[in-house]
Amino acid sequence: MNKAAPLQLNFFTPNVWLLIFFMGSGAVFAFFRFFYGFGSVTNLNAAYPFGIWIAFDVACGVALAAGGFTTAAIVEIFGRDKYHALVRPAILTAFIGYFLVGLAVFFDLGKYYNIWHALVYWNGTSVLFEVAWCVMLYLTVLGIENIPAVVEQFKGKVNLPGQLASFNKPSEWLLGKADNILNRTMAFFVIAGVVLSFGHQSSLGTMMLIAPYKLHDLWYTPLSPLLFLTSAVSVGLPMVIFEASLATVLFKRKPETELLADIAKYIPLFLGTYLLLRIGDLAYRGVLAQAFDGSVQGNSFLVEFALFAVPYFMLKRRKIRRDALKLFLCAFSVILGVVLNRFNVFLIGMDMGPEFNYFPSVGEFAVTFAFLAFGVFLYRLGVNYLPILEEQ
Amino acid sequence: MDISRRKFLQIGAVASGSVVCAGVKPASARDLREPNPEWLGMLNDTTRCIGCKACQVACKKENKLPMESTLNESANVGRDVYDAPRGLSERTYTLIKMQQDEENEKTTFVKTQCMHCSEPACASACIVGALKKQDNGAVAYDSGLCMGCRYCMVACPFNVPQFEWQNAIPSIKKCTLCRETKLKEGKPTACSSVCPAGAISFGKRSDLIKLARKRIEKDPELYQDHIYGEKEVGGTGVLYLARPKMQFASLGLPAFKYRTVAGLTESIQHRIFQYFIPPIAVYSVLGGIMYRNQSRKKNGGEEGGSHE
Repeated sequence: MNKAAPLQLNFFTPNVWLLIFFMGSGAVFAFFRFFYGFGSVTNLNAAYPFGIWIAFDVACGVALAAGGFTTAAIVEIFGRDKYHALVRPAILTAFIGYFLVGLAVFFDLGKYYNIWHALVYWNGTSVLFEVAWCVMLYLTVLGIENIPAVVEQFKGKVNLPGQLASFNKPSEWLLGKADNILNRTMAFFVIAGVVLSFGHQSSLGTMMLIAPYKLHDLWYTPLSPLLFLTSAVSVGLPMVIFEASLATVLFKRKPETELLADIAKYIPLFLGTYLLLRIGDLAYRGVLAQAFDGSVQGNSFLVEFALFAVPYFMLKRRKIRRDALKLFLCAFSVILGVVLNRFNVFLIGMDMGPEFNYFPSVGEFAVTFAFLAFGVFLYRLGVNYLPILEEQ
Repeated sequence: MDISRRKFLQIGAVASGSVVCAGVKPASARDLREPNPEWLGMLNDTTRCIGCKACQVACKKENKLPMESTLNESANVGRDVYDAPRGLSERTYTLIKMQQDEENEKTTFVKTQCMHCSEPACASACIVGALKKQDNGAVAYDSGLCMGCRYCMVACPFNVPQFEWQNAIPSIKKCTLCRETKLKEGKPTACSSVCPAGAISFGKRSDLIKLARKRIEKDPELYQDHIYGEKEVGGTGVLYLARPKMQFASLGLPAFKYRTVAGLTESIQHRIFQYFIPPIAVYSVLGGIMYRNQSRKKNGGEEGGSHE
């Protein structure tokens, strides 16, 4: 097994400056949102109180961070040690993803300074209450799961400059303690992470069931929580493949095609389960015909379904899995499928009454892109200075 | 060996999946709670409303709300605008809307405001419990608790809660049933007390239902034999009467089912987290699998997943 090591590349490449540009432009719009109200930036209205910040930044953000718990489950729980190299990057991206989800929620809350109320004032009937708690706990668990990388990098090497030197010893003690405790308790956190993920991934699917008269029949189903969970599990490995492929190109690393092709064999298993549940549910409720009525929702469903179904059949074939480009495209298709599915449930499938329309404003897009850029920026920071990616 | 391992993985996945399913599948609407006869409410008689909008003015005065204008809006909408303003907003808690039946082209004035549901979806949805059904029947909002997530706006089937989009620190705004003002003085709501046509009756919900029944019985020519809100979405605090042969849906009052809107989400939530059995079950199954794999590794010194 290779050891993971920091990349230690030159950090401020042109790409990073591009990220900083996106973050800056998002910050400008965020300023108006915080000091002049939502109306000054967003196209949100009485009929569309949730916009792209919830549909993409939160709903898709949570789903796309599923690579963390699926990889952890496959490697640590089901003991598939040969995929070990994929765990650390997956856990790091999941942590960054959930951190950004939390940040996006903060931006989207009207009274953001009351965000801590979710901890203190409980309303057990609220789906959001459950989502908030699970996301918060899981973010903590992900933080803990990332500590070993920090310990590995700095234990025995803490050397703070100047005045701070007096903190060298306490920092060392802390790292040693963390190392010691985590070595014995990590299993607990790994399983907790999976259980918490099951909880809020499915609860996100329950969220829009509060609106039976608004959500389109194609998505309004009591099975929605299970569909959200299985689709999140399905997109976990595609996200890992997507990120690994991009890292290969951008950091000019040796391709990990063999490893990725190997782990990709699980994707059809997950996707198949999801598609079976989805089709079975639609057929059982007798709403399949609505998919072909030519409406925006019907067409959107068809595209969503194709984005899941095509990679399912493709990835069953070993030859396609072994082709780096085709594997990447299949993974990307599953990712787009999940993204479109979340958009369908949170925006496109929601008929909030006549006379109202919603399309995200430039400001909303800018803030969303800023979050994406910030995520990539943090990942870049992580792999550059922490032992995340394995040495080649 | 290989096959058994793969089987094991599949069984594990199915087992943990079915634990979750078990919590989800039997999700059906829970039993309705009987509305409290002491709850206050209003009866809007659309056969009596003359569309004078005195109630709107009284509401604005009572709640100190600024005016709104629909001047020049017909150009934007592309048709004539008769309602001013066109819908509920953060500045308008009640509104008379002119509704036209598509079939017989008859027009009716219909008052809109918070329905003060018996089982409010907004209250069920609110993450911090900032919206609550009060003992007097009003669905009250606490802006100090609110986080501004707007989930109540998604949840409300009548699209009542409104958000202050133009404020840096926005709150939810909606009809309060004059809970903090008129009701405290023992007076009826502002809108009902100014209606010159007797179209808005204020009182206990149970009395209002009796009153509505009496009107229907007395004049079956004038009234449709249905009290909107008696059963819809589990019962609402504001009830409606309409002329015969008139679809309530064409009055902007959709034909909602009699079960509560939040029934499905609540029963799903309830089942998944009842006594924490499903999460603990998933945890145990996963823990067992992990333990088995690790002890096997220790004993055999073999790396997992070496097949294929």
